[in-house]
Amino acid sequence: MLFLVFQLGKDRFLIEARRVAEVVPLVEIKSLPQAPPWLAGLFDYRGMPVPIIDLSALALGRPARRCLSTRILLVHGQIGDGGARLVGLIAEQATQTLRCDHAQFLDSGVSNDVAPYLGPVLRDADGLLQRIELDRLLSQPILAPLGALQAAA
Amino acid sequence: MQSGAELHGDAIAAAVVGRCWNRIGVHGDGSCELLEQHIHCRNCAVFSAAAASLLNRELPPGHLAEWTRVVADAKPSAVQKSCSVVIFRIGAEWLALPTAVFEEIVGPRPLHTLPHRGGAVMGVVNVRGELLVCLSLGYLLGINNSAADGPRLPNGRLLVLACDRNRVVCPVDEVHGVHRFDPSQLQEAPASSSRSAAAYTRAVLRLPQHAVGVLDEQLLFQFFNRSLASATAT
Repeated sequence: MLFLVFQLGKDRFLIEARRVAEVVPLVEIKSLPQAPPWLAGLFDYRGMPVPIIDLSALALGRPARRCLSTRILLVHGQIGDGGARLVGLIAEQATQTLRCDHAQFLDSGVSNDVAPYLGPVLRDADGLLQRIELDRLLSQPILAPLGALQAAA
Repeated sequence: MQSGAELHGDAIAAAVVGRCWNRIGVHGDGSCELLEQHIHCRNCAVFSAAAASLLNRELPPGHLAEWTRVVADAKPSAVQKSCSVVIFRIGAEWLALPTAVFEEIVGPRPLHTLPHRGGAVMGVVNVRGELLVCLSLGYLLGINNSAADGPRLPNGRLLVLACDRNRVVCPVDEVHGVHRFDPSQLQEAPASSSRSAAAYTRAVLRLPQHAVGVLDEQLLFQFFNRSLASATAT
């Protein structure tokens, strides 16, 4: 299976490539007043407003660096009760893909209720990578405002 | 910016600073022991990591605005311009054949006529030491041009076409070049075009300067094979 590699801080994480519709460079984002800091705002994707989550702001509490290697991953996801739709994820160092088997992942042995999206880990020459479970990431209670946003849209 | 040391490993940072490919790699003295495994620096992980690290730059001015515009536009369709033809002229007619059937296009050269051969077979032409049968497309399509009048090649170009396992040469007056287009741009051939030309024309492609008849290569090849059979019959 193909995975997309990105970084949160200095650690590497993976996301399933088949859930990613497109990777686009940083664009101008229309901010949403009074939104939580991780909800970066909306952007115009092919004529359609798409909400953007800043993964660094969500996981690390600081916004993603603004450089060429920081990109927006457009993923197919389901938020709340709404149907599947596109969500943008701002990810740092989203420059590589990695091909590996599901069997190569090892249970991390740690679970964290605050971050239920952290999945099993994978070893490679440079250390450990952790898989992000997209469905659990998008179904977090903290993302509830995004569901309300969609219902209104 | 707080990028840098935190982002890449020491080895890569050192390689970027030291540009190892210029010192011990293919652009240097070639003494790097990884070369045995990778053959060329471009296959090496250090090189690709160094290239990826170039993306750790700040956004250049205008980058955000430009990409905002690109991403907001409709996605360019992948099927666009998927057909490719070579456009050429015989007499006053602009015609096209799929690029895939072309072996090469060569300049004018002497034509050796074959006695007692009429019709579309004009003779044989020496192309890179091989004698190829020269067929008149103008004769087949009923286009009056110099090529059809007599056994004389026009001062244009010779199309060398791969027709099944044979190669044939067709003289034309002018070659416009390769044109790529979306298959949905093709239009039905108008009924007003001359009868034999219409039979071999699959569709019409409208270009700004003129309309081009796209020939049906399968029908053409059937005709070529019949002509070749008659040309080589003893």
